[in-house]
Amino acid sequence: MEHAYLGVDVGSISTKGVIIDKKNHILASRYIWTQGDPIGAVKELVRLLEEQFDKEKYKIVATGTTGSARKLVGAVLGATMVKNEITAHAVGTTTFYPDVRTILEIGGQDSKIILVENGVAVDYAMNTLCAAGTGAFLSSQAKRLGIEVEEIGEYALRSTHPTPIAARCTVFAESDLVHKIQMGHPREDIIAGVCNAVAANYLNNVGKGKKIVSPVVFQGGVSKNKGVVAAFERTLNCPVIVDPNGHLMGALGVAILARRGSGRREFDFAVEDMDFRTREAGCGGCSNNCEIICVYRGNELIDSWGNRCERGARVR
Amino acid sequence: MAEVKTRKVAFPRYAEYSCAFKYIVEQALGCKYVMPPALTKRTMELGTKYSPDFVCTPFKTMLGSIIEALEAGADTLMMTHGLCRLGYYGELLEQILRDLGYQFDFINLSEYDMSKKKEYIRIVRRFNPKVNYARFLVQFMEGLRMTEYVDEITAEYYKGCGFDASGGQYKRAYQDFLTAMYTAQGRADVEAGYRAAKRSLQSIPLDKPQRPLRVGILGEFYTAMDAFSNLELEQKLADMGVEVHRWMNVTNQFLRYGSGQKNLRVKIQDLSQYDMGPTSTANIWYARECAERGYDGLVHIKSSGCTPEIDVMPVLQTISTDYKIPVLYLTYDAQTSDVGLMTRLEAFYDMIDMRKKVL
Repeated sequence: MEHAYLGVDVGSISTKGVIIDKKNHILASRYIWTQGDPIGAVKELVRLLEEQFDKEKYKIVATGTTGSARKLVGAVLGATMVKNEITAHAVGTTTFYPDVRTILEIGGQDSKIILVENGVAVDYAMNTLCAAGTGAFLSSQAKRLGIEVEEIGEYALRSTHPTPIAARCTVFAESDLVHKIQMGHPREDIIAGVCNAVAANYLNNVGKGKKIVSPVVFQGGVSKNKGVVAAFERTLNCPVIVDPNGHLMGALGVAILARRGSGRREFDFAVEDMDFRTREAGCGGCSNNCEIICVYRGNELIDSWGNRCERGARVR
Repeated sequence: MAEVKTRKVAFPRYAEYSCAFKYIVEQALGCKYVMPPALTKRTMELGTKYSPDFVCTPFKTMLGSIIEALEAGADTLMMTHGLCRLGYYGELLEQILRDLGYQFDFINLSEYDMSKKKEYIRIVRRFNPKVNYARFLVQFMEGLRMTEYVDEITAEYYKGCGFDASGGQYKRAYQDFLTAMYTAQGRADVEAGYRAAKRSLQSIPLDKPQRPLRVGILGEFYTAMDAFSNLELEQKLADMGVEVHRWMNVTNQFLRYGSGQKNLRVKIQDLSQYDMGPTSTANIWYARECAERGYDGLVHIKSSGCTPEIDVMPVLQTISTDYKIPVLYLTYDAQTSDVGLMTRLEAFYDMIDMRKKVL
């Protein structure tokens, strides 16, 4: 039996999973929507991955989780590696593109930039207080314009005169956009304008003060949008590489980290049929009243977190 | 002669300096000190509820803390002067509390001209007209010394606690020290507490590598220093196995550089020639100092909308490119969840760690 490694990336909007072999070849991969239910999404993901996976030939010996729900999903899957998404993306990308100097990443709720030198991340930035210019903004505007978010890129590329749209803030951008629609700007131009606004907003906020050096790799869900890719290429004046697996890069990165890590635990596909639930409990130990999250498998407490001091520790 | 009522004084909880406020109020001024409860989510909720929305977060924290002090029985509140918006906060704070219906005496240092010695006597007399000046001077100096000790031991603690091999003894020694300071009644207690802490921190074995990761912390005066406000950033970084350094504290900022920081500016003349706010010169100087000493990274902390610190950021970016030192910029608001902070800190740690291995 050959060894395989599972990587799961649970973001705010989408849930990604890959299984790789020792040489980082993808054996199975899947991209589904989280829809506000990370545990449900992961169980569905595991079921879908199982269909593609050759259980006779391989066995999964290590599991990694990343993304904003990494801790919760790590407890559910019994992960051997729980890593933040910035490191996961950096490791994933530098493995497949050793020469990369700049990684642009725009996801559903957050966006980040990672600067790489000699194959190692040397600086990064992540959006802080505001989700302007992320996938969530694009999909809400697509809905307003009555098209699917997947079609935005096609529309944008058809435009010859993109409408200028204020890029500083999502709220301003949205009112500017409504105004331009009512003024009679064609839909293609508006959509191209939105794509430009996303790129401009990203470079002004996350990329502020960072020196962007080619080769540039662009990933995250928004990288599938050709309109934004074109806007980046125009603004940065250099080619922007979009990997066909760019949307899976976080999951790939954490699978690679799980392979490199020392933890080993065979993964059991049975989790898709298990019953997991979480409960939030106020600690009550002091007036800070920490919100403690308890994760149960069936009726058994498998993990808990959220307490700031030992008074709130709940043991399994 | 009418009996003079002993004031019950309170000052908002601030980092670990409340012990020094307590000492000065009780030992030097001869008043009672009402210690506000430790900062919690409830403090934040109270402060946020009654504050203007766009005021900076330290104001909200202080307002919450002062309301909790009034609930605990304080009748005299004190507010500091300051070099940024902080200078106006005393007035605002008093107005909000009066509108809420609280009754108290308010001593706002912004109303006094702090450059004149006579004014200090007026302030002291307001606290206690029958104060014994000889005792006041001696005990006031001892209170300042306590501040220096707190800063010294705190700095030493965060440099070492990430490498404690004894399973928590280091942290216990630090907490014992704080307890000693919070309960000190006189000079002997302060000195004994300090010496005991110094001894134990130095005798506990540390498992420190030859070249540990070193990170410099800088930023806005309140949030960078108050562990509750920055969601225990220093402890979190240290627990990952990092030597955490911070120059900014009351000792360095006020006791040693009381009359401006002209001598710090000497080394950063090419970057900045004027003060851009209360802490800009020190922060820029310290950032370059860390870079020159070969630290592995810097963390810049500010509360949302802190204009002086926003002005410092472009200079930090210059230092970051010149010396190739990564800077993590963190903005805090009234949030109490640390999930986002952990993501950024873990990534920062991974980055400086991998970088050190390659370079």
